[in-house]
Amino acid sequence: MYKRTKIFDLNYYKFVGSWAWILHRLAGLALIFYITLHIWVINTLTKGSDTFNSVMDFLNSPLFKFLEVGLWGVILFHAFNGIRIIIIDFLEGAVSHKKIFYIFIIIAFLLWVIGGYRILSHINWIQ
Amino acid sequence: MAKENIIVKILRYNPEKDKKPFWKRYDLKVDDDSTILDILNEIHWNIDGTLAYRRSCRSSICGSCAMKVNGQNVLACKTPMHKFKGNKLKIEPLPGFSILKDLVVDMDGFFEKMERIKPYLILDKPIPDKEFIQKPDEFESIRESATCILCGACTSACPSLWANEDYLGPAALLKAYRFIFDTRDDGKDERIDIVNDKNGIWRCHTIFNCMEACPKDIKITEYLSRLKAKVLENSI
Repeated sequence: MYKRTKIFDLNYYKFVGSWAWILHRLAGLALIFYITLHIWVINTLTKGSDTFNSVMDFLNSPLFKFLEVGLWGVILFHAFNGIRIIIIDFLEGAVSHKKIFYIFIIIAFLLWVIGGYRILSHINWIQ
Repeated sequence: MAKENIIVKILRYNPEKDKKPFWKRYDLKVDDDSTILDILNEIHWNIDGTLAYRRSCRSSICGSCAMKVNGQNVLACKTPMHKFKGNKLKIEPLPGFSILKDLVVDMDGFFEKMERIKPYLILDKPIPDKEFIQKPDEFESIRESATCILCGACTSACPSLWANEDYLGPAALLKAYRFIFDTRDDGKDERIDIVNDKNGIWRCHTIFNCMEACPKDIKITEYLSRLKAKVLENSI
């Protein structure tokens, strides 16, 4: 007998539900990383206003604004897919889960564009 | 009936000779309306008699011939080769289960889990003289879930099972649903305890691989979601 337990079948065909699950997990990991970073940044408050201000100046660079746009996308995906899962589990949404996914992706994308524009329009390009 | 040239790659494994499964290629000519099982039969009967696979009824009711074809779990007898584009087929045994030989997998764990949820009526009341009365709409809620043929395509497609072999899996949980929502049954609390386990219903992450794989088109995830709600309701 050839044992095949604890092996993830990465070649298995990925349907809409599989992608939603994979991206939800990755977005969750990204958010854990972000929250750790966020706590570290806020922690600099305990080291006096100068330290905090210098960190804030560093985070005001265009690079971090672009990362923030990415973060906004990750949050939107995780939040909307989370609502989708609640609908599936408690509101009999399993049969129409693909439709719900596409509708939520469109809403999330629109919000991402609007929010992304708002974030990028605050960039101070000349420093 | 037109003939068509196809290339079939099959994951072969002989426990007496091979250390690891390997791909073997077969080039053959088949009728263009062949099912996957027809192709396997053609190989087994005319090309390579050593190929091992399970089959019996060839009318999608015995649940023997579930296997992974071009990345999806299907029932070989029910799936026409034209479900897949192109003329190449990759046939593997069901993922997640250990291989006994070629396309034959070890289903012991699968059936052991099925037994664990007690797949029979548990009764407190005396058995009636004639029959159990059940209204049509009461039956309707379990009708579809009772059509499961135990082929294992859903459980084998579940990433939660790949990660944790002790997970009950969609097939056993669907069977639990079928009895927990059966109005004649008195074993609900007992079964809900089994399902509400660390390897039970809560490892379902609504990935929908089971529903996509099910050859009987059972809305498995919907029933598992109802089961989740029932377990929660019961624990309040």
